Amino acid sequence: MNSSIAAPVPVSIDALVQALQGVGYFADRRLATAVFLALKLQRPLLLEGEPGVGKTALAQALAKVLSRSLIRLQCYDGLEQREALYEWNYAAQLLHMRAAEGKGSADMAQVEREVYQDRYLIRRPLLQALQAPAPGAVLLIDEVDRADEPFEAFLLEYLGEYQVSIPEIGTVRATAAPVTILTSNRTRDLHDAVKRRCLYHWLDYPERERELAIVRAQVPDASAALATQVADFVGRLRSQPFANAFQRAPGIAESVEWAKALVALDTIVVDPEVVQDTAGILFKQREDVAALTSDMAAQLLQPADATA
Amino acid sequence: MYQRTTFSQLGDARTGKLADNLSGFGRTLRRAGVRVDAARMALAQQAVMLVGMAREDVSAALEAVFVSCEQDRLVFRELFDVYFRNPNVAQKLLAQMLPSAETKAEPAKRRPRVSEALAPVHAARNAPAPREEDKVDFDAAMTASDLQRLRHADFNQLSASEYLLVERLAREVPLPLPRYAARRTRPGTRGHRPHWPGAMRKAARSGGEVLEVPLLQRRQQPLPVLVLVDVSGSMERYARLLLAFLHAATAPRHAGPGLRRDVFAFGTGLTDLTPAFRLADTDAMLDAASQAIHDFAGGTRMGDSLAQLRMHHARRLVGRRTLVLLVSDGLDTGTPEVLTRELAWLRRHGGRLLWLNPLLRFEGYAPTASGAAALHRQAHGMLAIHNLSRLQDLAGSLATLLRQ
Repeated sequence: MNSSIAAPVPVSIDALVQALQGVGYFADRRLATAVFLALKLQRPLLLEGEPGVGKTALAQALAKVLSRSLIRLQCYDGLEQREALYEWNYAAQLLHMRAAEGKGSADMAQVEREVYQDRYLIRRPLLQALQAPAPGAVLLIDEVDRADEPFEAFLLEYLGEYQVSIPEIGTVRATAAPVTILTSNRTRDLHDAVKRRCLYHWLDYPERERELAIVRAQVPDASAALATQVADFVGRLRSQPFANAFQRAPGIAESVEWAKALVALDTIVVDPEVVQDTAGILFKQREDVAALTSDMAAQLLQPADATA
Repeated sequence: MYQRTTFSQLGDARTGKLADNLSGFGRTLRRAGVRVDAARMALAQQAVMLVGMAREDVSAALEAVFVSCEQDRLVFRELFDVYFRNPNVAQKLLAQMLPSAETKAEPAKRRPRVSEALAPVHAARNAPAPREEDKVDFDAAMTASDLQRLRHADFNQLSASEYLLVERLAREVPLPLPRYAARRTRPGTRGHRPHWPGAMRKAARSGGEVLEVPLLQRRQQPLPVLVLVDVSGSMERYARLLLAFLHAATAPRHAGPGLRRDVFAFGTGLTDLTPAFRLADTDAMLDAASQAIHDFAGGTRMGDSLAQLRMHHARRLVGRRTLVLLVSDGLDTGTPEVLTRELAWLRRHGGRLLWLNPLLRFEGYAPTASGAAALHRQAHGMLAIHNLSRLQDLAGSLATLLRQ
């Protein structure tokens, strides 16, 4: 998603909602407000929520809306600073030194200086984001809760000042503050210092209307009736009386996948049998698939049938 | 379409009312346990100026600034509503808390954190000064000596307001669970075995030169925990407090990912509290738990409950490493033989069986009751948990017992 002309930041929350909708992301107003503030105040935005509610998709949509490049840093257990920030191209450096030896160059200090040059620097996501030309990039630090605590501490300088310190080069400061989105699935609590530097938004499952809009936009082949049934069914599945039966409720991603599958199966009306056959798309755990019995499916489908 | 309603309550920035209101609201949030520092207050002002004065937008903007975890979000919303919608509501809320108005007050639907946060602030500002004997006893700003006393006060001897405070304090007590080195490894710096594939990959990057040899270290996994809490009449006050403590202390965000935590309450029967424990907010967990437990403050038939556990949940729960925490005073009305048999089974199949006993507060306590005697024989260790200071020592004592 690279474009030479960047789009301006939307001037109001309404404009932002519209712009996001234009690229297929249906944000509710509270989320749009948080994003709007993050853009205006140039603060990182920390998004938390269950898997599949559209945290990562928001960063992607934002990159499209602002016509900026999206740089993604996927965090994982054991992620190290050099994989996130920069690394030296050892192979090229060695070659350079061997060549210098071959030429009989005696000045080792000179060779050392040559070796630590910009062209031997491999830029990883954070450095790329900092050095992106104006108006800057959109940096997605995905699943930050998976990284270790030392890595979180390392992020502080970036999140607070949009700068990092590199021993061989010095401090690199962003020319244009990157729009930074952090996502977390809450497998562990993030450190307060990280949270203090970020704006925060908890992304909930969408309400019925928004989910319906998303399903209809993402699966245009689905009939209005089918999309409504999907949104109703999944919405009820997540509601309080049923939610306890399952370990993990399906997210928006699952309802979209499910709608696609139903279209592929030429389903016109969802009935308990179809639900059971396709439960593997809604749930990712064997126990949950087993927990969705035919009786429960019938019960869940009832209100949709009543309105149809 | 979105409806805009103007937001006069916040006032006009030019008159300085905005700053006043925001800082008042920030202080109230702080009382409710939401972390609000001066930098956030300043940021909140900027945010409100940016989004305008529509009520919904102000609420969303302040939420983005002030809130930084899910539990605080619900508290924030309720508090925002009460604080900005109608000052009279706050006054009513105060009235609910006063003993004289108790009979006609509507039942409070608010989270305890919200009610507590609102009470003192609005008491001073909006309500006529309450008579001395009507004053709400609870005040978070306790002196150091008060706190010191509460740390050592028995849970069973606390006044209602002290109990609330202690329950809140108990949630802050950390319980680092013992960890074991799992079979699986991960690349690390303090391992024992070289990580050859990693070394080769790194060497390939530097033109075949091995510049460093990464190591493999074993993953550290928290011990799986099975908690069994006695909710009989004699344990009623301890049970609620300990559930709150255990919920907060073993939450994934404190204990780290990968913790297996199963919780059961037992009285005359067995109740699975694991789904309630999955809720993030401790208040919500306590609500769900009290709904789930039908035999709260009934009798105790520990043996039968443990038999139910063995029959229905054994394969899921008890593994060689499982740390079984049994919270009970050992006052059992069931048959001692059944209890002994079930405890012996639990001891054989679990890792360590630890008995957390509030009755240890009495000097010279001896487990002479039949249930207590059975527990004493079968458990690997017995720990006291009757006051805050004991809870604080719990992690250390657990570690010591596990080493034996």
